[in-house]
Amino acid sequence: MNQILVIAWREVTRLRKRFGGGASPLAVVGLLALIGLSAYFLRDSVSLGAGLYRVGVSGDVPLIEDSRFAVLSLTSEEGKVFLEDKTIDVFIDGSQVISRPDDRSQYAVRALKQYMEAAELTRVGNSYDGESAFPLRVGINYLDASQPTGGPDAAAPAEVIIPSLTPPPAPFTQVLITLIYIMPITFISIFFTSSFMDEKMNRRLIVLLSAPVTPFQIIMGKMLPYALFALSTTALIAYFTKTNVLLALAIFAPTTLFIFAIYLMVPLFYRTFKDTTFIAMLVTTLTTAYLIFPAMFTNVNDLSYISPLTLAVKMYREEPFGWREYLFPSFPMTAIFLLTMFAGTRLLNEEFLMGYKPLTRKISDAIYLMLARSKTYLSVPLWSLLVIPAVYMFQILFLTFATNLPVRLILGFTLIASAAMEEVIKSISIVVLARHDKAGSWRDLIGLSFLSALGFLVGEKLLVLISIRMVSEAPVAGALFGVGLLLFIPLIAHFVFTSIVVLTHTKLKFPYPLAVAAGTIVHFFYNVYVLRGGF
Amino acid sequence: MIFPVLAVVKKELTSVVRDGTIVISILIQLFIASFSSGLLLGMLSLYDADTIVQFGGNIKIGVVDSAENRLASLMRERGLQVMEYATLAEANAAYFHGEVLAVVDTPQDVNGLTQVDLYLPASETTSSLIRMVIQEPLKGYENYLRTEKGIELRYADLKGKPATSFEFVYSVLIPMLMFFPAFVAGSMSVDSITEEVENKTLQTLLSAPLTLNSMIAGKIIASVILAFLQCVAWLTLLQLNGIVIQNTGWILLLALMIAGITSTSSALSAVLLKDRERSQFIYSLILLASAAISTLLNISPITTMSRFAIGDAYTSGLNIVIFAAFLAGLCLLLSKLSRRLLV
Repeated sequence: MNQILVIAWREVTRLRKRFGGGASPLAVVGLLALIGLSAYFLRDSVSLGAGLYRVGVSGDVPLIEDSRFAVLSLTSEEGKVFLEDKTIDVFIDGSQVISRPDDRSQYAVRALKQYMEAAELTRVGNSYDGESAFPLRVGINYLDASQPTGGPDAAAPAEVIIPSLTPPPAPFTQVLITLIYIMPITFISIFFTSSFMDEKMNRRLIVLLSAPVTPFQIIMGKMLPYALFALSTTALIAYFTKTNVLLALAIFAPTTLFIFAIYLMVPLFYRTFKDTTFIAMLVTTLTTAYLIFPAMFTNVNDLSYISPLTLAVKMYREEPFGWREYLFPSFPMTAIFLLTMFAGTRLLNEEFLMGYKPLTRKISDAIYLMLARSKTYLSVPLWSLLVIPAVYMFQILFLTFATNLPVRLILGFTLIASAAMEEVIKSISIVVLARHDKAGSWRDLIGLSFLSALGFLVGEKLLVLISIRMVSEAPVAGALFGVGLLLFIPLIAHFVFTSIVVLTHTKLKFPYPLAVAAGTIVHFFYNVYVLRGGF
Repeated sequence: MIFPVLAVVKKELTSVVRDGTIVISILIQLFIASFSSGLLLGMLSLYDADTIVQFGGNIKIGVVDSAENRLASLMRERGLQVMEYATLAEANAAYFHGEVLAVVDTPQDVNGLTQVDLYLPASETTSSLIRMVIQEPLKGYENYLRTEKGIELRYADLKGKPATSFEFVYSVLIPMLMFFPAFVAGSMSVDSITEEVENKTLQTLLSAPLTLNSMIAGKIIASVILAFLQCVAWLTLLQLNGIVIQNTGWILLLALMIAGITSTSSALSAVLLKDRERSQFIYSLILLASAAISTLLNISPITTMSRFAIGDAYTSGLNIVIFAAFLAGLCLLLSKLSRRLLV
């Protein structure tokens, strides 16, 4: 523990020195202030469709203050001519709105409708008393599906709304609030990455490695200041947005660990600066997608619980959630953190850090280093079991990606992509071991394939067990994680697919991607068969 | 003089292709594009009443009948299936038999206000869906009540077509795909310049017949070429997907200018700060600040890009001049300050 603190303190000093020299802190503060100020001025004016529509107005028309519309004052005749030659999209002549039948004009009319509705409500609300301006009250009552009540009861409605002032529930704004938490965490973890890279570059890391500290202590020490900083920003944001600070910390701590874990991998794998930039960008995009996309569907689909942001949205709405809901997103994230910490301790050595090889070689070396120190019959199934949370996250990303495809292709794409992913995960450990001559005979390969399939299946079923209630409601997810209740048939199936991949690659000398493709195709047809109710 | 620059350009381009980093960049852009449109698709299907009514199948709502029920007819106009019942008890019974998804009670007068009771399922998913589709009829009914009190809401009868998708494509997707390569080009310039400093290869490089300025220029040009190629590819892909894009020439020129501006300003921060960590940080801050400032000054390249793409009558090559002038200024500044890299 002491060592960790020493390294952590050293890290703080390093950072202070780096950003302490010259006028740069001043410049940074200045720039940050400038951005804050502009964001403050821009908070209302930036919206979807900024500057898209040109509107001509003539006569008594309410002031149009919306970044989507560029307004031109015209006479009645000019307006009609301009509308005809498509210089403007829509023309408002007093209380009359004139448009063309083409799409662009009709889109403008819809956008105008939204704006005018709000503007008119404000006008009516200001010039008449509340009861005349908003004469309708809607009482919302909830019916319990299981117990029919005797008849109309006199109980007060659960809530009373004014339709024009109460937008239907949509989590969009709250999702944006919760996004504020993610941004500082990502930003801070980029500094964590930079620090690692810097030390790798000037070889201080190598010196540190020869000192009597373990790689684990180095990583923890370097991560500690940044993680604490990230958690304190979380606490601050929670405090300023007037929500439960402890709950916010509990929700975002696994997320913070997860983001840090991924950013720990960046400096370990990079070879050139450009690598870092691109890998970091990729990682940011994927994690943001993973976090935001499901949260958009809060209260619409229970699968949304895979993102911790969903919990945060619920927290802001003061809706309760239970342990299951909490563990559903948090467990895989924490598991991935632990796995990468383990990987980090194994990879933090001079040879791996300094080697310049193709990225695929680096990855295979990394896997080898993680497996090499223990017996293969233990490490292979453990690998397959422990990587499950990562597989699961990737499958969610595939699903996100697939929503972009035509509807009938979504299921097919997701099934193929996840089958390929699973085949890679199960076979890669064996293939890597075979490359380093740790396994070679038919007996070894087939035995390891079986163990790998077993490990994978156990992990998969454990995950399903944890998440059964949520996931079971979504048929696609059910297909991804296997719906077969019999454990025996899936085990044999996984074993067969893995053996196909391993043997075609190591014995028949097929290139690895081709071998994976072969396994994937068989796996895909098996999945389709299961989905159709085969077992 | 020009050949050494070309040699640097070639070296940079081959290294990017060899490392495979450009593949990651394209992957990111593909992912962002599909992610954001996937998001939009999700939003559209879940939060847009039109789409729900169109694809949601028959949404049956029970209405407790009264002689003249304006609300019921508004719901029918919206495309909902309205089942009439004589009393609330009967309607509720129908709900429990699964005949209707929700029940709307007869509007009643309470102290000069009209009150309608809505009975929704306890399941959050279904109830929020119903509240979305019933919002429009309720607002229509509210307007009707207002008119009865002599209050006229103007522009209430506008229709149009749902514009979300259109707005997304032209104001988000196209500018994003055109400017993201520029943003990446800036990062690349920082990387390739600071790498020479931190790997201590700068002096060796300059011992070749190559001036400092042409070395930097070569690196910037290489990044800009990559950005430009990506823009061309995206534009082609978008058009193959049936998205109509006007003024492609001007769009590419604008994208080129912006890529030039980002790479030059990032090179500037690399020259002044000399290490990757700080240069990248300052570069991204500058990027954020200039995006904000340009929007504030009403010369945002994003808006200009959207307007080019939809074929706006008031947007022409003149709108690019300001960016070109800014780029020229930056280049001049960089050539004056580049010596600092050696200090």
